[in-house]
Amino acid sequence: MTAQGITRRHYQPEPVGATKLNEVEAAPFRLEPGMVVVGILGFLTVMGVAAGLARLLIGLGGTTALSDSTSWGIWIGFDFALIAFSGAAFTMAAVVHIFHLHQFQPVLRPALLAGFLGYTAVLVLLLLDLGRPDRFYNFLLYWNLHSPLFEICCCVLLYTTVLVLEVAPDFLEKFGWTKVRRFVLWLMAPVTVLGVTLSTLHQSTLGTLYLNMPHRVSALWWTPMLPILFFTSAVMAGLAMAIVAYRTAVRIHQSPEETKVIQGLMVGIGGVTLVYLAVRVGALINNGELFNLDWSAMRTWLATIEIVLGALVPATICLVPAWRRRPTLQWVAPLLILAGVLMNRFNATLASQTAPVAGSAYIPSMMEWMSTIGILAMAALAWYICVRWLVRFDGSHEAH
Amino acid sequence: MTDSIHLGALPENVDMTCPLMSRRTFLKGIAAGAGALAVTAAAGGGAIASTGPVDPNAMAMLVDLTRCTGCNSCALACKSTNERAEPTTIPTKIDANAYSFVDVREVSDVHGAPLKVFVKRQCMNCVDPACVSACTVGALTKEPGGPVVYESSKCIGCRYCQYACPYGVPAYDWDNPLGLIHKCEMCADRQAEGDEPACAEACPNGAIRFGKRSMLLAEAKATIASNTGRYVNHVYGEHEAGGASVLYIGPVPFAALGFPVLGDETITHHGESVMRKTPIVALTMASLAAAMQFMTGRRAKHAHGEFVAAVEQSADVSNRTASGDHS
Ligand code: SF4
Ligand code: SF4
Repeated sequence: MTAQGITRRHYQPEPVGATKLNEVEAAPFRLEPGMVVVGILGFLTVMGVAAGLARLLIGLGGTTALSDSTSWGIWIGFDFALIAFSGAAFTMAAVVHIFHLHQFQPVLRPALLAGFLGYTAVLVLLLLDLGRPDRFYNFLLYWNLHSPLFEICCCVLLYTTVLVLEVAPDFLEKFGWTKVRRFVLWLMAPVTVLGVTLSTLHQSTLGTLYLNMPHRVSALWWTPMLPILFFTSAVMAGLAMAIVAYRTAVRIHQSPEETKVIQGLMVGIGGVTLVYLAVRVGALINNGELFNLDWSAMRTWLATIEIVLGALVPATICLVPAWRRRPTLQWVAPLLILAGVLMNRFNATLASQTAPVAGSAYIPSMMEWMSTIGILAMAALAWYICVRWLVRFDGSHEAH
Repeated sequence: MTDSIHLGALPENVDMTCPLMSRRTFLKGIAAGAGALAVTAAAGGGAIASTGPVDPNAMAMLVDLTRCTGCNSCALACKSTNERAEPTTIPTKIDANAYSFVDVREVSDVHGAPLKVFVKRQCMNCVDPACVSACTVGALTKEPGGPVVYESSKCIGCRYCQYACPYGVPAYDWDNPLGLIHKCEMCADRQAEGDEPACAEACPNGAIRFGKRSMLLAEAKATIASNTGRYVNHVYGEHEAGGASVLYIGPVPFAALGFPVLGDETITHHGESVMRKTPIVALTMASLAAAMQFMTGRRAKHAHGEFVAAVEQSADVSNRTASGDHS
């Protein structure tokens, strides 16, 4: 695969600079940065797989710090954050295939891939977290239409199928299956609508999930508006992830970046984040929390950091034209959004919760960290390999 | 109208004669609209979690905290009837190996004097249980007679029930690689055979009484009224989170004994009202997205027939631009 990638890069018809020409001669003997990336991510993946297997064999008690009072830990935190990040796929699919804003097309492929691999990682993490991974399919057999988690399971499963269809053309193109590809493309219009619908449902239902814990979740986070907050923050995180994926892909391919596209997405992030902030702060005013902040509590600080650094600051960067033109801030804003949403999902799952019967404090175990990092590394590795070698991104027209 | 999603035969335990429920069901159906219903119907029948108001014949337990001496007969009887390990070891908390225990609480009485209160804890077998509403696969169900039972073969171990329960009751078997949830089922099996729950039978002091919920409630109130000063005027479990099948009367306010302070509304009513809107949200979103796709597509002169060409063309254009080939 590596050899092919190198070959392909060298046959690019695009104007190449002097450095690139030098690379051609030196290539066979050089340790590429790409190899280092693959090596590190590959190593983390192997560690993660080992930790995951240990968990499956030994059980949750022996490998995690979970207990009856904190029975969802960092797996769930990363899971729910990753679902929001993977919103990159449905937001970009909507931008390009529903609003027909085709100038954003270059972002679509890296975003769809990131979404697809993100959901794959989510499924693996969920499998590790389930007490009965051997029965994961039971939600297909036994339905509880009242249960948010039931709806989430169904939507995530269906949506992952949709994502397979959405990324399929890119791979079919690579392998030259033109007829199948045309058929899948023909399906794309309804499939996109289905994907957006399924995403709206489960992204918001992740908020509904917490609606069923009014007795546990601090009022700094709990509000009947949670479904709307979770949906809007998934759009924010999705667009932010799309920018990060696009900018990374551009660098992998050493192709020039379209700053107009990035700025366009940033305007979108800014707008949605304002809506999010209005609902979030509105809820805090409505339940009186805002005027009763207890600064001696850790939670108040966590909520403040989450709202100010994770939403207010990036929204401002995105909405001030002079700032959103700065390449550095074009990294800072989306990364702050992602950090803010990650923090929000962790706070909702861990920091905001008070169990009815207190138990020992939850300090995630080594196994939990190793398996989580490993699975995230696996998704990143797969994304890197696809973007670099498998999926056409850089405009080379050699696909047979 | 989630309650009427059953398209086939209604399960025996759904009380359709209750006027409140059928009216609510009916109105919801109208409101949801024919389209939404069609989607829900297409989704097929699922386990229906929520129950209606308290069944007039539902059974319950009344725990009189002033009578409990902390002898632990109940907790041990519970262990043995549920076939838990170490049946003679007195449990100190609810976990996968003990579905009930006697909690020792040192408080002060109304006069400020120290008072030791023994609180027998177990699943409250709620009237409208949050765990049942939350369970992904409907492994937990409410029996009309009172018990909230668990069908272990359905459970996927997601542990959402632990987060929904306001009393922190469902326990997961952490040491088992294929662990399951464990909780008191108010001895549903024994009740089916006409017996009392094991704890009620074992109590030598009459601190745990078993009977019809309506009668026990009346009795609890009469006991409070005729023993001024002995009890606080509160039957815990009558209204808490929609009511429970285990009722408590005691000498000091229940919050002081570690009972959660809960409103009268069910834990899950917010969540359920959102879940009921699922078909409407789905339909609205799908039609909006489809309409938008059609309209903007036309405007961009990419009518549906040319969709494929449009996608490919734009892909080519953007790929060229992305690679810097602007010529
Ligand atoms: S006490 Fe908890 S576990 Fe028991 S029925 Fe109520 S919600 Fe369910
Ligand atoms: S752990 Fe089992 S019983 Fe509890 S909610 Fe999940 S599937 Fe239902």
